[in-house]
Amino acid sequence: MTATAERHALGAPPPDDILLDVRNLRTVFHVMDGDVPAVDGVSFQLRPGRSIGIVGESGSGKSVTALTIMRLLDIPPAEVMPGSEIWFDGTELLRMPMDAMRKIRGNDIAMIFQEPLTSLNPVFTIGGQIAEQVELHLKVKKKEAWERAIESLKLVGIPSPERRAKQYPHEMSGGMRQRVMIAMALSCEPKLLIADEPTTALDVTIQAQILELLKTIQDRTDSALLLITHDLGVIAEMVEDVVVMYSGQVVETGTVDQVLLEPRAPYTMGLIESIPTVDKRGGRLSVIKGTVPSPFNLPPACRFEPRCPYAWDHCRKVVPDLFQTDHPNQLARCHLYTAAGVGRREQALEAHAQAMTVGRDLGGQR
Amino acid sequence: MTEVHLPPVTEPALEEIERRADEAGVDYEVQLESLNQWQLAWRKFRKHRLALVGLGILIVLIVAAILGPILSPFVFNQIPKPDKAVYAGRPPSLAHLFGETGGLQRDVLQLVVNGARTSLVIGFTSMGIGVLIGTIVGSVAGYLGGFVDNVLMRIVDVMLSLPLLFVILVASKFFGNGNVLLIIVIFGLLSWMGIARLVRSLFLSIREREFVEAAKAVGVRDRRIIFRHILPNAVSPIVVSASLIVAGNIITEAFVSFLGFGVNPIYPTWGNVLSNALTFIPVGNWWWPFFPGLAIIMTVLAVNFIGDGLRDALDPRSRA
Amino acid sequence: MTKYVIRRVIQAIPVLFGITIVVYGILLAAPGGPTAKFNNNPRVTLADREAFKKAWGLDQPIPVQYCRWLGACNPEVGDKVLGIFPSPLALLGPNGWPNILPQGISGASNGILHGDFGVSVDSGEPVGPRIARAALPTLILASFALVIWIGIAILIGVYAAVKRYSLFDQLATIFAYVGFAMPTFWLGIMLIYIFSGPGLHILPAGGMTTTRVSPPFGAPEYWVYFGKKPIAALLDVGVHLILPVFTLVVVNIAGDSRFIRASMLEALSQDYVRTAKAKGLSGRAVTFKHALRNALLPVVTNIGLEIPFLFTGAIVTETIFSWPGIGKLTIDSTNSFDYPTLMGLLLITSVLVVFANLIADVAYAFVDPRIKY
Repeated sequence: MTATAERHALGAPPPDDILLDVRNLRTVFHVMDGDVPAVDGVSFQLRPGRSIGIVGESGSGKSVTALTIMRLLDIPPAEVMPGSEIWFDGTELLRMPMDAMRKIRGNDIAMIFQEPLTSLNPVFTIGGQIAEQVELHLKVKKKEAWERAIESLKLVGIPSPERRAKQYPHEMSGGMRQRVMIAMALSCEPKLLIADEPTTALDVTIQAQILELLKTIQDRTDSALLLITHDLGVIAEMVEDVVVMYSGQVVETGTVDQVLLEPRAPYTMGLIESIPTVDKRGGRLSVIKGTVPSPFNLPPACRFEPRCPYAWDHCRKVVPDLFQTDHPNQLARCHLYTAAGVGRREQALEAHAQAMTVGRDLGGQR
Repeated sequence: MTEVHLPPVTEPALEEIERRADEAGVDYEVQLESLNQWQLAWRKFRKHRLALVGLGILIVLIVAAILGPILSPFVFNQIPKPDKAVYAGRPPSLAHLFGETGGLQRDVLQLVVNGARTSLVIGFTSMGIGVLIGTIVGSVAGYLGGFVDNVLMRIVDVMLSLPLLFVILVASKFFGNGNVLLIIVIFGLLSWMGIARLVRSLFLSIREREFVEAAKAVGVRDRRIIFRHILPNAVSPIVVSASLIVAGNIITEAFVSFLGFGVNPIYPTWGNVLSNALTFIPVGNWWWPFFPGLAIIMTVLAVNFIGDGLRDALDPRSRA
Repeated sequence: MTKYVIRRVIQAIPVLFGITIVVYGILLAAPGGPTAKFNNNPRVTLADREAFKKAWGLDQPIPVQYCRWLGACNPEVGDKVLGIFPSPLALLGPNGWPNILPQGISGASNGILHGDFGVSVDSGEPVGPRIARAALPTLILASFALVIWIGIAILIGVYAAVKRYSLFDQLATIFAYVGFAMPTFWLGIMLIYIFSGPGLHILPAGGMTTTRVSPPFGAPEYWVYFGKKPIAALLDVGVHLILPVFTLVVVNIAGDSRFIRASMLEALSQDYVRTAKAKGLSGRAVTFKHALRNALLPVVTNIGLEIPFLFTGAIVTETIFSWPGIGKLTIDSTNSFDYPTLMGLLLITSVLVVFANLIADVAYAFVDPRIKY
């Protein structure tokens, strides 16, 4: 870790019933054209055995968040800024020496990635790749590691696991490879499983199977799940709590029911509104107009302001924090939920309710 | 209206410009400058520092090769009266920048410069021949396909299996007999294979693509499509290959001349200068072999750098 | 797997055949033909030349000569078709079976297919044994060079890739570019100057053995000497190996280390490396087990294809260092227009190239599980 992070005094460890506590995480990439604040002040908590989903568009910083937790980023271009803290099971991860971190990786925290074909090493058998992890962390002999590898293949529902274990990744279908990735991740019974877009590269039917599998496994092994996706449908199926990210920041948190059924942040509202439903038949497709801001050219205060239908001058001057909304434990990064925005709040919520039923008429361009 | 020239703009930047122009209340007009393939390539090439260095070195060498023998104070082939006391040759000094050879005590710099002529001519001309033959063979094989393609490719395989140096040695000795032209031809005949394969695969890939559509169109048209689409694509890998061939041939010529099989020893090439120098090593003359060798290294480096620069410049996917 | 190998071997046969034709063509088509060595000797009369030709069977038309040289035609059958081509009768050996078949069946013993490479026009010695005698020193030189070259290239390439942009990497890149542009003989000459010249004089300037101490390598006396003092003999050869091997390998290391570095960088940027790290594997395991294994795949092919260059590079190195190997033999026979020896050498080296390609392909199919054969 960078020395500057060291100098910043650590906060107090979280209470025992919180497994993962991310506090004010900021990750910056130093590239040729400038500095990109990929993750800019992200905080959330996860309890053991529970599941949380991070939703956002490409470029919102959700994958980088996960990679930072696992400390898988290459530190020269990337830099985790001082003031960021990641607490896992009572210890702070960012300040840990690397070999201690390696004992946690694959063992207490496991991660599965989006592309199962390229994520598996093509020249080793899948059994070998799983056994390697088991051997490393559980300190067992080769033979036993192999047995366990076969066990985890069974766990994820792969038929004839003894035969499959001797095969190579290119000899399997996409869905099966993803199962292998899951098997590999679970082989050491981790407390936290991070899944980065696990089904994006798969067919829709396989997608359903894999999600089903993840859910079953989570119930059975009691591990916590951090699921990253851009697909709201997946979120609805799989997780209990939701974190919505936009342009590197958290713009809304809450339970899945709260965020999907009664969103409070304008961005989330826009997302939900854009889902075509039967009620909107005949109306216009609702979109969030504009594009995600370039990281080199961020809006002065609220990052969503240029595209927000409810914004006013205040939004261009003062940076919004995550504020408490009218629902308990549902936070939104929007001035509507401050004293300054009280008056406009009703209108906004009404407009949203309207848009949910008939679709939004885009009207004139700004 | 003042003209402002900006680097290529992206869409968000364009929006920003529009917004600011709006706010400031100015009138603006955006004109896009479009560059053709060659201008774009030159621009990319310019940015490649090493390639420019290489180009510089090469230009210096070419100028030296052309002007050197004309401007040198030493008359070519005039054998000076050797000083018996300094049989081993004098080390570099102001009069002889690269020192003197042993034995006949000729000026090494002059030898290097004269050698440059021969070596550069051999290198580039043989490359030309190789590229010509290779392009023709590759085009025929790729275009006609089938049996002709098979036969031609077998020939390429055979040629590639022959140990190059060996064949060149034998051929240079038996056919070449010291004649520069013949040696150029021999080198050319042995460096076309790579280009042939390259051109052939290009033809094959284009045929796969356009052919299906062209099959429906008028028969004459597809031939023109192939020529108009293939050749621009072919130029860049051929140019890169050509630069490697030049470098390779210069070194091979040095090898061959060194072994005494190359150019007639009356004409100095870097290779045969080095072979003469070998016997004087025990007497302590290091500058005689050192400088010609250095010249070879610089030339090959220069050509390699240029080749690298060309490769990046002509690759349509790399950024300008 | 065996089927794949057999298939590749069969594919190689027409290429080998083509090689023999080209080899034969080059040598016999040279101006002056096989009697060119007498070109500068005024005392050799035309009658002498004709006698020479007849004695060596060089007065036959080319297709006949080729066929006999190959071992497919019986040299005792002189009938021809159209005056140029050997008659079909010539295809039968003394026993009546086709001449091509092994001696036991057909009774034929001529031609390369029966191991008869002819006799040296120069020394009168059979070519086969002559080449074999020269092969051992070259093999020694080449094997040492190969091992050192591959080993160091991998070390440099991997380290440069892992510590990308570091000082080591930059130095390695400079070394790669300059080393690749260097003609090997220049390097050899400079090394001789530095280590054996008037300055340091710590390494021998040439030869395979120290003449004062041991008999020339390969001679029967040498093996007697070797039996008596094996360690001294080995050390002697070893010391003489240092400079030639160094000269041979530098250029190859320069080229390969870049290639390995690029391949390694490619492998390190793959997703499975990220997965390996996510599993908690140590940096070393990730680099050497996961990435290197993949990075070496294209390198295997590359090295297989470069092995023949090792032998051709040896030609020059052996000349400078007076190493009594195949390279030196090549130069000597070319200088003396010794056709049979040249043909034998050319043939053997070409076959070597074909085999090297074959082995490179098979090795690749062997190590990459994705290849279906």
